[in-house]
Amino acid sequence: MRRALVSLAVLLFVFLFFCVASHSAEPPIVIGAPLSTAFLYGWDAERGIKLAVEEINTGGGVSIGGKKRPFKVEVIDTRDLEPGVPVSEALMALEKLILEKKADFIVGGPVRSEAAMAAMDLLSKHKKVSILTSGVLTPAYTAKIAGNYEKYKYCFRNTSHVGVMMGELVMLLEDMKKSFGFNKAYIMVQDVAHARAGGEAMKKALTEKGWTVIDMKIYPTGTGDYSVGLLDAGRKGAQILFLWMDMPESAILLKQWSDMKLKSIPIGFVNAAEQPGFFKATEGKGEYLIVDLVNGGNAPSKITPWTMKFVDAYKKKWGLEPEGYGTSSSYMAVYQLKDAIEKANSTDSSTIITALENGDIMGVYGRMRFDKKTHQVIPSLDPKEGAVTGIIQWQKGKRVQVFPPKVSDGKVLLPPWMK
Amino acid sequence: MEILIYGITNSIILSLMSLGFALVYSISRVPNFAHGALYITSGYIVWLLINKAGLPYLPSVLLGLAAASLIGALMYRFIIMRIRGMEISEIIGTYAIGLAMIEGLRWGGLRGMTYTLPAFVSGSTEIGGVSIDYQRIIIIITGILIFILLFLFTRYNRIGLALRGIAQDERAAMMLGIDSDMTAIISLAIGSGLAGLAAVLLLPLGNIVVEQGYNVLIFAVAVCVIGGLGSWGGTIVASFIIGFAQILTEKYISSHFVMVVALLAIVVTLLIKPSGIFGKQKQLEERV
Repeated sequence: MRRALVSLAVLLFVFLFFCVASHSAEPPIVIGAPLSTAFLYGWDAERGIKLAVEEINTGGGVSIGGKKRPFKVEVIDTRDLEPGVPVSEALMALEKLILEKKADFIVGGPVRSEAAMAAMDLLSKHKKVSILTSGVLTPAYTAKIAGNYEKYKYCFRNTSHVGVMMGELVMLLEDMKKSFGFNKAYIMVQDVAHARAGGEAMKKALTEKGWTVIDMKIYPTGTGDYSVGLLDAGRKGAQILFLWMDMPESAILLKQWSDMKLKSIPIGFVNAAEQPGFFKATEGKGEYLIVDLVNGGNAPSKITPWTMKFVDAYKKKWGLEPEGYGTSSSYMAVYQLKDAIEKANSTDSSTIITALENGDIMGVYGRMRFDKKTHQVIPSLDPKEGAVTGIIQWQKGKRVQVFPPKVSDGKVLLPPWMK
Repeated sequence: MEILIYGITNSIILSLMSLGFALVYSISRVPNFAHGALYITSGYIVWLLINKAGLPYLPSVLLGLAAASLIGALMYRFIIMRIRGMEISEIIGTYAIGLAMIEGLRWGGLRGMTYTLPAFVSGSTEIGGVSIDYQRIIIIITGILIFILLFLFTRYNRIGLALRGIAQDERAAMMLGIDSDMTAIISLAIGSGLAGLAAVLLLPLGNIVVEQGYNVLIFAVAVCVIGGLGSWGGTIVASFIIGFAQILTEKYISSHFVMVVALLAIVVTLLIKPSGIFGKQKQLEERV
């Protein structure tokens, strides 16, 4: 009898202890991350978000109402980058985050443009503030916000878009024209909307700048041989191969380019060439390729004091360098959110929107500010003024930032067979 | 010259992708929709053996091919054998196995574009003023060797003759003492091994991504439908038709239509000769 009473008392004590403990801990602020996690632009975003959350929570959390609240991440696989997966799947995943997982904010995706555009209505319906950080490069996203601000004011994007990227790439090509006397380009793009649009825009821009655009080849997704196009480019004296592809088969193109020793340098948006393992995977055949990583900090560089701090922290946690587009922006989005919550002293959507619109922090890839009408992060070639791009060249197996000049760590190098 | 060299390369690549599928169907009448999955799985096994187990290249390749053959044989023995003869079940069953394998690889960590197999020989040369890398030359030579070996195997080897016997007339072959299930197991093992061999030869051109499994299956089916299901000769001829048509399309029309060529060829074949160029399915012919 006595033993039973003691056991009961202990149980009661344990129960009361946990009740008090659970009441004293502040409820977390839930970040919902709808991402296509089987793909680079999904998993690197997830890692960026989780790293930022871990750092913030280790530092005590987010100050709100005189208390510190931790962040909690709920990741859901939207599968929107998988071929044949309908947009509705991504929307269902997003709604699940909002309704079931009780996400206070959305950070990350959906990652595919069509899914992200469709998700805007859902975010508006549930009045959920979202910061888009990966995958969606269409200028239409932020144009839609500007077109109907009241409805879509919940949506923000802290990464770049095609319009800005093309301008930056044209500037780089103009620099190369001055340095090396190049004036002939050959465009090879994938048969998907964003790549075709990118190719057309580049063709127009280069022609206006006095370049000769020899041809523009559009390759269906899954193309496994590029010999005809590459031989044509070589025969007609192309010095620049402008590429815009996110299919894995683009690695075949780059290997063929290297094997053929074409007297042209490949530049562009090539998903297969972003990851640190690309150089080894191509047995060094990706050397000299210039890749647009969309935002700075997606590869080691010295854009701001925070850049290498982020790169080192990422390496420590995940065992490799930031892999590509979507990493630094997803990481920064959590800090932008923290800043906005602390300034608004609330998690209420309307006050957070104002706080994000007025936010101004120096981040991993420069000054982070949103345009008040479009909610697009303000880009710049100077990190003191805005968000800086990350255009790198593969040099001796490393990704070296070569543009913009203010933050470059090296100059563009030509393959020995081009000299 | 450029068209000739890359036309031949492209054709042999297509025939390597589809030969295993054609062989399995011709002998066991099982449409192996797990063919693409076997292709990518064997490539990944070889990658694991080289990069994780630290084995040298050649033993890794041989073990990879053996593993592919074993998977094929086990797949028949424990799954397909039970549903053999029920065509719809065979299609659903093999496709489901393929899906499980491919998505299993994705789930197991085969993500991203940094997995690749090394080329047998790196570098390139010029033939008639056209640059071509050594790996593609090896693909051409190996492809031709495989055609010859398969031809000899099915004509001068006891097992090969048994396979041919079953392919020609299963009942008559069984009356002569040939075990139908055993030949089907052997055909699955050889077909899967051929998928593995194609992977080892073709994956060094690009990288190992799970989506390749689906692409290979699509090409294999396209080539076999055009060549005639069950005809090895038809498979090779169809590969050359599609291979050259793709190169000519890119050269003289537009690269944009390269993938359409194979699909268009399927439609034309189904309209004109639904059993394929060398197909022997009389029922189909008679219907048309």
